[in-house]
This record gives sequence, C-alpha cells and structure tokens, in this order.
Amino acid sequence: MSAGYIWAVIGLMAVANFLVRFPPIAVVSRLRLPEPLMRWLGFVPAAVMGALVAGEVLRPGGEYLISLRSPYVLAAVPTALVYAKTRSFLGATLAGMVFFVAFRALVG
Amino acid sequence: MTPTTPTQTPDTPARTARFVRGIRLGTPIFLGYVPVGMAFGVLATTIGFTATQAVICSATALAGAGQFIALNLMKSGAEVLAVVTATTVVNLRYVLFGATLSPYLAGMSLPRQALLAFTLTDETFAVNVNDRRQGLSTGASMAGVGAVAWSGWVSGTAVGALAAAWIGDPARWGVDFAMPAMFIALLIALAEDRRHVAVAALAAALAIGLPALAPLGIVVPASWIIVIASMGAATVGAVAFR
Repeated sequence: MSAGYIWAVIGLMAVANFLVRFPPIAVVSRLRLPEPLMRWLGFVPAAVMGALVAGEVLRPGGEYLISLRSPYVLAAVPTALVYAKTRSFLGATLAGMVFFVAFRALVG
Repeated sequence: MTPTTPTQTPDTPARTARFVRGIRLGTPIFLGYVPVGMAFGVLATTIGFTATQAVICSATALAGAGQFIALNLMKSGAEVLAVVTATTVVNLRYVLFGATLSPYLAGMSLPRQALLAFTLTDETFAVNVNDRRQGLSTGASMAGVGAVAWSGWVSGTAVGALAAAWIGDPARWGVDFAMPAMFIALLIALAEDRRHVAVAALAAALAIGLPALAPLGIVVPASWIIVIASMGAATVGAVAFR
C-alpha cells in the first residue's frame, strides 16, 4: 500500500467528513424551520440510535446473527439494564464489554 | 422535543464553567473512545499505515465506523474515491445531526460552529441532545464534550498504533462491544417517551429488515441502511405523532 494512496484517503476523508458535518449546522441554524420539519428532526436522534443498536447487535460485521447464542444479543440485555439502573454511560460501556467477553467465552 | 429559544452564551466565567461541565459529560465518551481508537490504531498499522498516518486520520476525520470501513476497503485495494465515498455515505447521518442541533446553535459565530461541527459524532450528538432536553446544554458545554471526545479518539489511536505489537488483537478485550454498549445506553437516554420508543423500534426493524430484501431484488447498499432506516422511521413518527 503506497504512502500516496494512504495520504490521499486521509486527506479526502477529512474534507468529506467536515462537509457532512458543517454546512447543515451553518445553514440550518440561520433559517427558521417550519414546525413539521422541527418535529421530524426531533425524532431523528432516537431513530438513529435505534437503527445503530439493531445493526450492531443483530447484524454484527454486516452479517445476520439473530440467535440466543450470540454474545452480542446476550450482552445487550444486561448492558441496557445497567444503564437503566445507573444512568451512567461509562458504567454501561465498561459493563457491556465485560458482559460481551464473558458471554463470548461462555457460548463461543 | 420542542426547541427552546436559542441561548446566547455570554462572555463570563460561566462559559468556562460550562466548558468544564461539557468535559465532565464527555468523559464517558473519552473512556469509550480510547479502546475503540486503540483498535483502529492497531488495525491501521497492520494494513500499512504509519503511526503518524493513523493518528492524523483519526484527528482529522473523527469518523468512527467510517474509518474502520475505510481500512477494510483499503485492504481489499479499493480506489481512493470508492473508499472516501463509502465512509461519507456511512456518515451522512451527521447531516441529520447537524440539522437537529442547529436550532440551538443560532447566534453562534461560523468559526465556533465549524469547531463544533468538526467534533460531531454519534456520542457527542446524543449526549448534547440529552443535556439540551434538561435545558443545560450551551455552545460552551458542547465544545467541552467535543474536545474531550476528540482527545479520547486520537489518544486511543496513538496508543494502538504505537503499541500494536504489545496489544495484540484488540477483540480480546471486548472492544467489539464498546460502541454497541454506548449506543444502547444512548438509545435508552434518548427514547424518553412512548413516541420516541416507537420511532426507535421502527428504525431498528427497518435497519434489520432492509438487508433481507436483497433476495427480492431490492438491494440497499450497506452504507445507506442507517440513513434510510432512521429517515424513514422519523418520517413515520412526524406524520403519526402530531
């Protein structure tokens, strides 16, 4: 893999990632959005997280793994409980990793 | 969620206090990003990045999943444009994030908005929106959240890239579940009422159902699934719950 190839990817990725992030903020914050659009945007956070969680837990690595023997499925449940109980992002993240390693060893 | 009047952050000591508050809010993100950043550092150097390249990539793109996808494609020898397009499409959801946050950022100068935009990720977005709902988030606190999240991602990458030989396979440490665990916590934090739970469930069903349509000849490219599923579910929510 040539250095030029890697640098080209790095440079263009930096530009592209800034372009998907900055213009929406710069433009939309200077507009008054109509109410239906605001309502739509209000549902975006929960929708994105729902889609991300489903994909990560039920299709890890882009392949279906919907099974009670999947460490992803098994670890997801107690991780959710830890967050619901403690409201700690950090606690839930660390506990999730521990659950995952444990279940992977158990069912693997 | 009803947006409140956009807040102007005054130039007072309060701004420092809010920035520090943001750093505190962002600390769990920092600690979650370090292991995943390490995994990126290890993988990047394994496929031929130098440590410097890996760190610069993380520092300038801050693209999480997008960076892992890039590594995968690069390993299989994809062209530069194909790599960049795939990571961009995966991160198109940031367009939605930016639009969602922007009503709160009215009155902020362009350079400040640019800095905030630069550190926008799934986690910083969700933490800021959650904080905003409690009426506490400001531009200064968002800057704190962004700064600490960026530091975690970049320092994790540096450690992973420099110590790849000692770390070995990051999967051993349960790193595969760091992001899913964070997403699960953020989902619970954001799905605060029945309507949001319904929309999140629909988005989840779409994200799982769309790839299953392939045998019917409806092929949704993997990188589009999150964007399509979440836009579709938010649309149904906006129409159904007036």
